[in-house]
Amino acid sequence: MASILPLPELDPSPEISSEFQRKKRRKTDEKSSSYHRMQGNPRMNRWRTGQEQQIYSSKLIEALRRRSTPTSSSANGNDVRDTAYRVLAVSAKGTSRWSRAILIGRLSAKMRKHKKAKVSANRKLRKPASSGKRRKLPVVQRKLLALGRLVPGCRKLSFSNLLEETSDYIAALEMQVRAMTAITEFLAVGNDGGAQPPADRLGSNVNS
Amino acid sequence: MSSRRSRSRQSSGSRITDDQIIDLVSKLQQLIPELRGRRSDRVSASKVLQETCNYIRNLHREVDGLSDRLSQLLASADTDSDQAAIIRSLLME
Repeated sequence: MASILPLPELDPSPEISSEFQRKKRRKTDEKSSSYHRMQGNPRMNRWRTGQEQQIYSSKLIEALRRRSTPTSSSANGNDVRDTAYRVLAVSAKGTSRWSRAILIGRLSAKMRKHKKAKVSANRKLRKPASSGKRRKLPVVQRKLLALGRLVPGCRKLSFSNLLEETSDYIAALEMQVRAMTAITEFLAVGNDGGAQPPADRLGSNVNS
Repeated sequence: MSSRRSRSRQSSGSRITDDQIIDLVSKLQQLIPELRGRRSDRVSASKVLQETCNYIRNLHREVDGLSDRLSQLLASADTDSDQAAIIRSLLME
């Protein structure tokens, strides 16, 4: 990376937290420089940079931390997944259709809870009408429709738009998997690290 | 192929040429790890699309598994006070 700003270490805690702090400060300055380094696909290469992954990781951890403090037993798998997708969509910063579709979908789901599910009833009525007149489509067309169903918000896109959204979506998903794997490993180490810690880090050992 | 020609007729507004389609499909093919090494003339468009769908479904499954695992870790981290304090101090600024 070209511009690495030397930042003072803020507290003598383990290096992972200081890395998170450094990356939180750095992101506003290096974001502009990372866009100049792109080769062909400016949007999709963004998901490959380590910086984007760190931004996502820190945002996800913030969201998870904020969510689990009010109610202690809400660490549901589905909640975590929804949070992860929402943070991913936010990280896209509205440049891609699937990210906007995810955020709008969450918004309408929240409003649906208050309005007693009138919108979802309409959607259920729409489905059997479309599947009644099912024609035999060519194979590629069928697969294209299947792909459009997988990527959120892309059911009626043209071919080139759909492929572009797909490549961006795949890159974002890969980054999400990498980031969540890193967080999981980090938390797993934190959980099992009670067995073999350096003596100065932990006050009292858990087990031996 | 006739399917390609019929598809370009259906996409009204922007005339998509066959070359554009080939280009987009090959670009998509580069993203999928399974098909990255294969030569583009051996991999048909339908196979690329099929592998793309499978790949996205796999990624979704991975994210689901990871989020389940993460929720378990968060839950277990909350119960143990000693390690929970460490994790809390690491997660906070």
